[in-house]
Amino acid sequence: MSAVFEKKTVIGKRITKPDAPDKATGRTVYINDMVLPRMLFGKILHTDRVHAKIISIDTSAAKALPGVHVVLTGDDIPVLKFGTTRDNVPLKAGKVRCIRDEVAAVAAESDEIAAEAIRLIKVEYEDLPPVFSPTEALKEGAPVVQEDHPDNRSLEYNFSHGDVAAAEANSDIVVEHEFEVPYVTHCCMGPGCVIADFNSSGKLTIYTQTQYPYNYKMDLAPAVGIHPGDIRVIQPPVGGAFGSKLDVYPFEPICALLSKAVGRPVKLTFTREEEFINSPTRQPAEFKIRSGVNKDGTLTFRSVDCLMNNGAYTSWGPTTPVIQMRTFTGHFRVPVVEYHGLAAYTNSVYAGSFRGYGNVQATFVTASVMDMLAEEVGMDPIAFRLKNAQKPGEVTPQGSILDDCKLKECIEIAAEKTDFLNKYETYAGNRKKPGRIKRGIGIASSIHNAGGAKIHKSDGCGTILKLDDYARATLITGASEIGQGIDAVLSQIVSEELGIPISDVTLVCDDSALGPWDVGVHASRTTFVTGNSALMAAKTARKQVLDAAARHLDMVSADMDLREGHVVHADSGESVIKLDKLLRRMHFADEPELVMVSEYYEPNSELEDKNHVGNLSATWAHGAYVAEVEVDTETGEVKVSKITAVQDVGRIINRLGIEGQMEGGISVSLGYALSEELQIKDGKVLNPNFRDYKVPTAPETPEIELHFVEHDCKASPLGSKGIAELPAIIPAPAIANAVYNAIGIRFSAPPLTPEKVARALHGASDQ
Amino acid sequence: MNIENYKVPSSIAGAAQLLQYGDATIVAGGTDLTPQIEAGARQFAATLINIQRIEEMRGISVADGRYRIGGLTTVSEILESKTLAADVPVLVEAADHFASPQIRNAATLAGNLCNASPAGDMCIPLLLLDAEVELASWTGDAVSTRKVALSDFFTGPGKTVLQAGELLTAIEFNQPADDFKACFQKSGPRPALEISTVSMGVAGSYLGGLLTNVRVAVGAVAPTPLRATQTESVLEECLLDDTLIQQAVEVIQQEVRPIDDVRATAWYRKHLAGVYLRRAFEIIDSEKNGN
Amino acid sequence: MEIEIKFTLNGRPVQTKVPPTMTTLSMLREKFDLTGGKLACGEGECGACTVRIDDRTINSCLMFAVDCDGREIQTIEGLGSVAGLEIMQQAFVDHGAIQCGYCMPGMIMQARYVVDQNPDKDRAMTRDDIARGLEGNVCRCSGYTKVVDAVAAVVLEEASA
Repeated sequence: MSAVFEKKTVIGKRITKPDAPDKATGRTVYINDMVLPRMLFGKILHTDRVHAKIISIDTSAAKALPGVHVVLTGDDIPVLKFGTTRDNVPLKAGKVRCIRDEVAAVAAESDEIAAEAIRLIKVEYEDLPPVFSPTEALKEGAPVVQEDHPDNRSLEYNFSHGDVAAAEANSDIVVEHEFEVPYVTHCCMGPGCVIADFNSSGKLTIYTQTQYPYNYKMDLAPAVGIHPGDIRVIQPPVGGAFGSKLDVYPFEPICALLSKAVGRPVKLTFTREEEFINSPTRQPAEFKIRSGVNKDGTLTFRSVDCLMNNGAYTSWGPTTPVIQMRTFTGHFRVPVVEYHGLAAYTNSVYAGSFRGYGNVQATFVTASVMDMLAEEVGMDPIAFRLKNAQKPGEVTPQGSILDDCKLKECIEIAAEKTDFLNKYETYAGNRKKPGRIKRGIGIASSIHNAGGAKIHKSDGCGTILKLDDYARATLITGASEIGQGIDAVLSQIVSEELGIPISDVTLVCDDSALGPWDVGVHASRTTFVTGNSALMAAKTARKQVLDAAARHLDMVSADMDLREGHVVHADSGESVIKLDKLLRRMHFADEPELVMVSEYYEPNSELEDKNHVGNLSATWAHGAYVAEVEVDTETGEVKVSKITAVQDVGRIINRLGIEGQMEGGISVSLGYALSEELQIKDGKVLNPNFRDYKVPTAPETPEIELHFVEHDCKASPLGSKGIAELPAIIPAPAIANAVYNAIGIRFSAPPLTPEKVARALHGASDQ
Repeated sequence: MNIENYKVPSSIAGAAQLLQYGDATIVAGGTDLTPQIEAGARQFAATLINIQRIEEMRGISVADGRYRIGGLTTVSEILESKTLAADVPVLVEAADHFASPQIRNAATLAGNLCNASPAGDMCIPLLLLDAEVELASWTGDAVSTRKVALSDFFTGPGKTVLQAGELLTAIEFNQPADDFKACFQKSGPRPALEISTVSMGVAGSYLGGLLTNVRVAVGAVAPTPLRATQTESVLEECLLDDTLIQQAVEVIQQEVRPIDDVRATAWYRKHLAGVYLRRAFEIIDSEKNGN
Repeated sequence: MEIEIKFTLNGRPVQTKVPPTMTTLSMLREKFDLTGGKLACGEGECGACTVRIDDRTINSCLMFAVDCDGREIQTIEGLGSVAGLEIMQQAFVDHGAIQCGYCMPGMIMQARYVVDQNPDKDRAMTRDDIARGLEGNVCRCSGYTKVVDAVAAVVLEEASA
């Protein structure tokens, strides 16, 4: 009498994160907690100037301090150019260009000794005239930041589709708006940390917080002066990343150079203040946008100008137009579009990637403008959006194929669930009535790449899967687990295909020597790409197992299934053989057979051509969110009482995980909307601490209601879409639109701090 | 400076005797000291004196109509005191807006007062209560104490009249009369974890639409926590009608001397001062006393 | 110079020598290998270093280690046992509150304290009460919703027990 097993699924269930128990007990060893034998401690001397020639560096006192093993300056190392446009070097020689510039580095026997050594280094500078704004930097005669770019022009992006002048002439209404979006920073709870260890054969093992371990080697190699193949990347658990670790920043190659110089592992950790000053920010930008609309509510054209502060070095920040454009040209149907983006070098801090990557900025603009245009034509925000919403199958001017577009559904559901129109009318009517607290409701929507983003020649991921003699699976994936929960998702996928418990799946994804390639954690791609890769591998393993079962048991593989560690009759669920027994039979057969498979998944997307046209992502997703706010019209304080988020997610793999990602993203956008701003004045960071850089805390968190538009996305074998950036993108403009509904004032420059709102309400009369 | 001596006195006398030699840093909860040392804003003296074991500096007591709060009383202890909640709720209200629970558990009243931040949240209600601080020192062969009105205690940002050799041992104030009404407000939107942009306390004996013995104290608008005496005199014994309140608002906006800093501009601080003053009367006028 | 101190750490008596300026956090991490509590800001602004001293939680990055003498300290490692996770830890796991987890030792210690010392025993803690109790703990991953879910579930479970 054999055991009987019903078909069950773990997909779509609420699965707890496999590493959560160790994190809950404090057992997890993060990179910041790691200690290696004979490890020394590194520290960097950052300049205190924004633009200056280095006249001399006196390291003698630092070198003489007991416990100091090496002191390096730019003169001690070759010129090692690295970076997106090769405009950076690890230690600066000759001149400093911004407040981050790394002038010297020390390796010593403790953090305290290293810090003391840094204090003992004396640098003589000759100040140079600085330039801080991109507008000033582009003027004739402006100080030159990077000698290879005497006009201070950095990256530039242009896209054009249709005749803007003609469209403008034919539009009933043309309006122009300006926006300015700020510097914000990731505030990963784990400050920057790296451990570098050169072995005696000249090969480097680097323990890093990177979220793109494979291309990282390519980017790190020139900064250290070694071959990328000689770098082994180990990714210990990290305290967040959110895009801040998608490039090589000087502190990492500096640490490697220290290790090379002393022949021992060196660990370098940022203080929180260093983190605030040196971690790449989100890209700030100034926008001018001209929009055309006809009286019937049809959008006619969009023309966007984006000026970006490149800072002193080029990281990913100034490349955000690649994704910005997808929203400007493709969110809502706009027949004629034009985009011009330019980054200018300045002596200020520089930007990298941050969750939302350009779309945060673009959506703040488009969602605000959509509301303003609706008002111009006298339509409500819902009807106006529905009028211009694309249908499934439409292709945008840049070639984004909206195969299963759910934009209309998202807007309709958001409006219905929040009783939007009634509230909108009521609150607008209350603006002039007495009452200190004014309520408002606002909607915003966006589109984002949901099937990866082909910005490199491959957007793929490799997976190696093995099953051992105990029917335990090991999944070696190129994916990186940085807290987002891919460990749960990949374990679910393997568990589902092979019919083994999730707890019997071990994930290996922290060693580039073992893992096959993956592009990295960005572009909301991890579940889509690495999940589909794992699915491919799991299906291949499953086939191998069932084929072997058929041979060994003289049955037909199509008549069998794998459930709860058993090979069963597919129709009755009756066990034929335990899976581990079958695997041992396979292993010790006359012709031994182990289950060790490998697959590489490439999403069906294309690189943009030189005109920025191409289906950059295998699929696209939309979201429409509603924010409900209360504005204290005296103090200017804005309280968000509720966020209702409606998003096209395809098929949900981990229901618990997706909720956490949505809620976390919403918090990031809440900060962007209301309280976060890295205040940079004359190239210096005025608020490099949590006291004055205000990230949202628990009591500020609104009620959140999530609605998922669930369906099987055809572009994804898993059926799922990427989801994690839209929640970090959409709430902020929804909040700004809600504030407008409440008090009739537009804010075109987040954050909407209490002072900003109070000034808009009271500024004129108080002065 | 490397610390050469570490002492843990168990009495005020013991601490005072140690302090007479000067060159000492006092530590209690460390919530201000540690960040300031880290930032390089302060350096350790040669002797570190941990006063946390001085039991006689703890406790909240009331006798003969006078409250005595030991200097080592934590902000949490103030927040949780049922006696204070009933008698002096404005003090509890300020404690509720202070930093975070973890900081409240460690921050002592003496530490907060001696830190003399212009934004010092606990200073505001104490100024409303005409509190006095007790300062102890060793003279000759015994402890001697002197009392200083809190309104005279602060001399500048981070500066007080505390002499080298002195320890702030207690804070005292008279039990408020039955008709004493007070309220405390602090800028948000976070309930706490904020260095105030502006905080304000307003109090007085409230009798049928007018206030006597008016006290108005404002934080983060001047080099020290400010007693807005001009505003007080405008309000003293006058009917609290719209005209008076408007006049008082105009006076307080002139009386505060805020600066622009990374948290807010002077304009916003003046604006908030006016907003809070106006609201204070709504709060005081309502049924509940204070909060 | 170093000062000898004796105290109870996660239920066991311990002693060690610390420089007078060492913080409690550094002592726990360096002298006792208790790396659960994190140095995330060093200024008492984020709560990632929260530990329990006697019956209170504090930011261990601010507290002088020498002041631990004679006291009882509990860190995240002392919550729960080899037998398994403590109820608050389990709730955080079950409710999906943990993502990167860096802030979680401090968050869980604070959550445990908030529930234990609920000042108003006559009324159940609301979500707002819980959120206020956690206002000194910064999290950048979770958005706090599931953290509050987890604590609220513990409140309910312990109330009915």
